[in-house]
Amino acid sequence: MMVEGSTRNLRDLLERVRNWALANSPWLVHYNSGSCNGCDIEILATLTPRYDLERLGIKLQGSPRHADVLVCTGPVTRQSRDRLRRIYEQMPEPKFVVAVGTCSISGGVFRGCYNILGGIDEAIPVDAYIPGCPPRPEAIINGVALLLKQLQPDRVDEIDNLMVEMGIDPHAIPQEEDLTDEYADPIGIR
Amino acid sequence: MAIVRDLTYLMFFPAGLGLIAAGLFYQWIDRKLLARFQNRLGPRWFQPFADALKLLGKEEIQPHGTSAFLFAALPILALAGVLTAGLAVPLFGLPPVFSFPGDLVVSLYLLSLLMLCTGLAGAQTRGRFSLTGALRAFTQVFAYEAPFILALLSPSIALMIAGEAGSWQIWELAQSAANRPWFALTLPFTFIVAIIGLMGKLELPPFDAPEAETEIVAGALTEYSGRGLALFNLARAAELVIGLMLITALYLGGVGDGLLVPIIFTAKSLGLLVIVVMLQTVLARLRIDQTVSLWWKLGSVLVIAQWLIILIIRVLNLGG
Ligand code: SF4
Repeated sequence: MMVEGSTRNLRDLLERVRNWALANSPWLVHYNSGSCNGCDIEILATLTPRYDLERLGIKLQGSPRHADVLVCTGPVTRQSRDRLRRIYEQMPEPKFVVAVGTCSISGGVFRGCYNILGGIDEAIPVDAYIPGCPPRPEAIINGVALLLKQLQPDRVDEIDNLMVEMGIDPHAIPQEEDLTDEYADPIGIR
Repeated sequence: MAIVRDLTYLMFFPAGLGLIAAGLFYQWIDRKLLARFQNRLGPRWFQPFADALKLLGKEEIQPHGTSAFLFAALPILALAGVLTAGLAVPLFGLPPVFSFPGDLVVSLYLLSLLMLCTGLAGAQTRGRFSLTGALRAFTQVFAYEAPFILALLSPSIALMIAGEAGSWQIWELAQSAANRPWFALTLPFTFIVAIIGLMGKLELPPFDAPEAETEIVAGALTEYSGRGLALFNLARAAELVIGLMLITALYLGGVGDGLLVPIIFTAKSLGLLVIVVMLQTVLARLRIDQTVSLWWKLGSVLVIAQWLIILIIRVLNLGG
């Protein structure tokens, strides 16, 4: 009994260490499966020094073999479905998928097109959805933080504090005026 | 008792695990300083440790068309080579774990093992990115290796040319360097070549063409995941520390006597790291052919010029 108990404890401990490491160094790989490029530009904006995601240990990797999180943008076109699957399968376990943008959730403005399958989850399982067309960097960080919080329930406060430092309210329910860009006037005059 | 002490030296401190931990810590300083120079906040202090642990805990995928044995053995060989090279170097200003005549040459060759293993790892996978990365890695080895080795042998060669007792033993050299002016001042050219050679060895910018992520994904290590990638990263971290310590021991005043020596020695190596990070920040990546011509047209010429200068001074002194 003793031996069994201590091996279970050891395994628990190893599992905790592994989770801690995973939650503290999520490396991303980014794939565009048919997006209009709006979401991709927002992702790049998220990775710039303005938000400095290296603080959360997030790094953009080139190779899916090195990555833990697959960040997908856009609807899945019939052409890109196989590529998307192949990239997903090339990633080592444990792996997560984050769908960025309305298109990647439902197909968005492209829904119903003859060459569109729909959202990312038509092709591969998705762990977090980030809505918006395109979502602002704050929203993307919020989505990634949600994923991290899920991995590490006991570090929720710390992640919340970091987000407040970045100028993001982790508990805010988006209002309509938050979702409209204050610089983009509908008439076209700033 | 002696065997316990030896094992502790070998496994925990200063070689072995202590060396790896120091390597990860130096890597953090590197990343943090780079971030500060780029006006960012940079990673938290445990970031490299979390990265290494995460990679060790991940699945390792062995791609088709590779030899299973080589795929598993190369990362281990790389790490083992680097850790062995650390044995003869006075890490943190403490006496080396294992020192013998000629260990300078042996260490220098063991330090090249990392780059060779990286190249082989890339060359034996079928992906075109790893193949291109491997090709560039090997080209880079041939470019920087000769000037770098000559630069690190220079203090000893300079002593011989000047008619004093040189030595090929790092510890002896480091101790005799403590009793004379810094070699960095008397041999400035080869000092510069040694620092820049270290950057080439570690594939730091501007010599990061072999792993240029904007061109060839991740170079030779594109197909590695999990354990293999983690071991290669650890090897690179340890090599960073060993390289800095080696240059500090030979060029920046060696290892003297006294209680404060380890602290001063480590501080010197950190100062060297700051210089390396500054160079990384301000320089852009060189094309691989530019790297080669830089080393052969400038690097080796600088080393030989340095030797000539010493020779001329010697001859003039004798004449006058
Ligand atoms: S959500 Fe909007 S910005 Fe993103 S891919 Fe779709 S249309 Fe483009």
